[in-house]
Amino acid sequence: MKLLDITLEIFRYKPGQQPHYDTFTVQVEDTAHVIDAIDKVWAEQDHTLTFRRACHHSSCGSCALRINGVEKLPCITRFSEVGDGKIPLRLDPLRNFPIVSDLVVDVSGFFQRMSASDMSITRDAESTLPLSVDDLGSIVQPKAVQLPDNLSHFNRFENCIECGICMSACPTMAVDNKFMGPAGLAAIYCALQKTDDPDEKAHLMALANGEHGIWRCHSAFECTEACPQAVDPAGKIMALRREITANRLMKTRRG
Amino acid sequence: MATLEQPKVRRAGRWFDVRHRKLGMWAYALNRITGIGLVVYLYLHLVVLSTLTRGPGAWDAFVSLARQPYFLVLDVILLAGILIHGLNGLRLAHTSFIEAKRQKVLFSALMLVAVVALSAAALKIFGG
Amino acid sequence: MSTPHVIVIGAGSTGSATAHDLALRGLRVTVIERGEVASGTTGRNHCLLHSGGRYCITDQESAIECIDENMVLRKIMPDLLELNDGLFVAITEEDLSFKERFLKACADCHIPARDIPVKHALEMEPFLNPRTLAAIQIPDGVFEPFRFCLAFLATARLHGAVVRRYELVTEIISTGKSVTGVKVRDYRTGKIETLGADLVINAAGPWAEDVAAMAGVRVPVQPTPGVMVTLDCRLNNMVLNRLNKPSDGDIVVPQRATCTIGTTSWKVKDPDKITIPPDHIEKMIIQGEQLMPIVRKIPMRARMAVARPLIVKDATDERNVSRTFECFDHVYDGVDGFVTISGGKTTTARAMAERVTDIVCNKLGIEAECRTREVPLASYRLFYQGGQQ
Repeated sequence: MKLLDITLEIFRYKPGQQPHYDTFTVQVEDTAHVIDAIDKVWAEQDHTLTFRRACHHSSCGSCALRINGVEKLPCITRFSEVGDGKIPLRLDPLRNFPIVSDLVVDVSGFFQRMSASDMSITRDAESTLPLSVDDLGSIVQPKAVQLPDNLSHFNRFENCIECGICMSACPTMAVDNKFMGPAGLAAIYCALQKTDDPDEKAHLMALANGEHGIWRCHSAFECTEACPQAVDPAGKIMALRREITANRLMKTRRG
Repeated sequence: MATLEQPKVRRAGRWFDVRHRKLGMWAYALNRITGIGLVVYLYLHLVVLSTLTRGPGAWDAFVSLARQPYFLVLDVILLAGILIHGLNGLRLAHTSFIEAKRQKVLFSALMLVAVVALSAAALKIFGG
Repeated sequence: MSTPHVIVIGAGSTGSATAHDLALRGLRVTVIERGEVASGTTGRNHCLLHSGGRYCITDQESAIECIDENMVLRKIMPDLLELNDGLFVAITEEDLSFKERFLKACADCHIPARDIPVKHALEMEPFLNPRTLAAIQIPDGVFEPFRFCLAFLATARLHGAVVRRYELVTEIISTGKSVTGVKVRDYRTGKIETLGADLVINAAGPWAEDVAAMAGVRVPVQPTPGVMVTLDCRLNNMVLNRLNKPSDGDIVVPQRATCTIGTTSWKVKDPDKITIPPDHIEKMIIQGEQLMPIVRKIPMRARMAVARPLIVKDATDERNVSRTFECFDHVYDGVDGFVTISGGKTTTARAMAERVTDIVCNKLGIEAECRTREVPLASYRLFYQGGQQ
């Protein structure tokens, strides 16, 4: 384990002031993650640096930002993935969110969109283990699981951690500030799979089919590329298109 | 508290910022640029067609203009726009209604078709 | 008489649950947090919704608190939990010798525990060590600490509470022998503001001593970090615990599509400056391998360390720390209007909040029953809406 000298160029903005970048250098272990470097800057050099973080293990989604222009979760980003100390790391807040201060963005609009579908954060778990959002190749083969006597199913949290990375990567989010966004639409898709209630289904489909819904997506697929949790929002948007179109055709044939 | 919003002009300009982005973003940007281009072309086309109402003399004047080499270059550019927009459109239809997993490969393949078709057409146009 | 105003310092699990209880009982609440919600100890939690099994032999008081609160949380935040139970697993003969004691201790603490045939345990958990000698199923669960706090705070906000993030308490203001407010610095604007309060609650976790010092009192909190390692895939559906006395790395908590091995323990002076001892990471892998041998082959996704606020019960014996919580009414230290709530774990945050809110209401002459066992929490997504910055 060796030490790295990491240079961070961090976006700074305080209300009423001009945005600019401040440069910091910190020493961190090469096995640490980018969030550790940001934390060290704050602890040792500048307490006025504001940033979001909580879990440090890709479950809360709060730390999402851009590292050299690319959306990432700094809590799971190793230095080896971003230049290994050989290049400065420019840290910017997510795009398409209003900026509150430095790296902190206003996520109220984002959570409003997520609330629209009210997707439950839990779902039934798969019947095989292991589960991963990354491709493990041939490291471990899937194995079936049995349930204990007292449980009718295993459950788990949805892949989506509501980090907002997809919203930042999406070009349509930049252009249409009422767009539901990849996360919002993917959540509608997930919610649709989990309900049998015809009224609820109709409501969710109308939400997706609306003026700022699935048809505003023009297939950049940047959301799926950037998502750290393999949610594949673009795939879900396309699946919604198929479902809604089929539904429409059926209704036309019937009525 | 005052939050910092990106000014509207810069926001709208984001859709063709392909820095740090992947292939799908290129498709998105190209589709938009060619779309705008084709709309502009359509308007010009209608304007040109309207010269027919002013009799054969006016139309012949346009045709001799259209034979100039620089105008033929514009034709090739137009064809490029049609090919990119049309073939990407096929990709959009495929990803929307058939499957979305191979969208990058599809884009590469279709743009290759566009390049080949455009090259063949350019040869024909300039070769006579 | 106007409604009393209480300031809560810290938006971790303790502060969030306390704000919720205070707001439900009709008090005006302002939460002051220097970072993001749960950015301190609570965020880097192991995410284990304790059944109490871990403590039933060595710390029965803690075990009973855990199982009681486990059942309450299942009622008030059902959508925020993975409820797949857990297993206490014996790998060695020494582990096996704990089995009878463990089963009896669970019964004594009313923790439902079932002795599962090993064959069935291996079918439920195919990556479990095939040399497992015994498996006992208990009602462990998994939560997400960030959304846990957001849900409590969202509900508190619906009942009028105000949450101010990115603001640091720089001074505690007293008039005579009573605390009457705080000075805060907003890290976003740089502005300094004075807030008056009828009472201030110190829920600052491992920073509780720093905060208490501002009021001129001491609290016996020892910042004690531990390391956890998150793997890049979920190998178990159920929480896996080592059947033995509590030790380092004896739990693997699954969550979503990952699993986290934890934890260790060492002491620090400054909870803001923690260096992870490199051998602790390797120790987690070694201990994890005992429960699931394939652990060594799985890439690491994350590692985290943060100071836990352990209460030093007896100042002369530093090993004698308990994971139960304590509430300090500093009127007994000569400073009124200031209360510290510390120690504990996220699983028992609601109970901690109930205790401190009872004390606070008593001091302020408020007669209101605690309803936090019954009132279902509002959607955590509401926290950031409706004017919250």
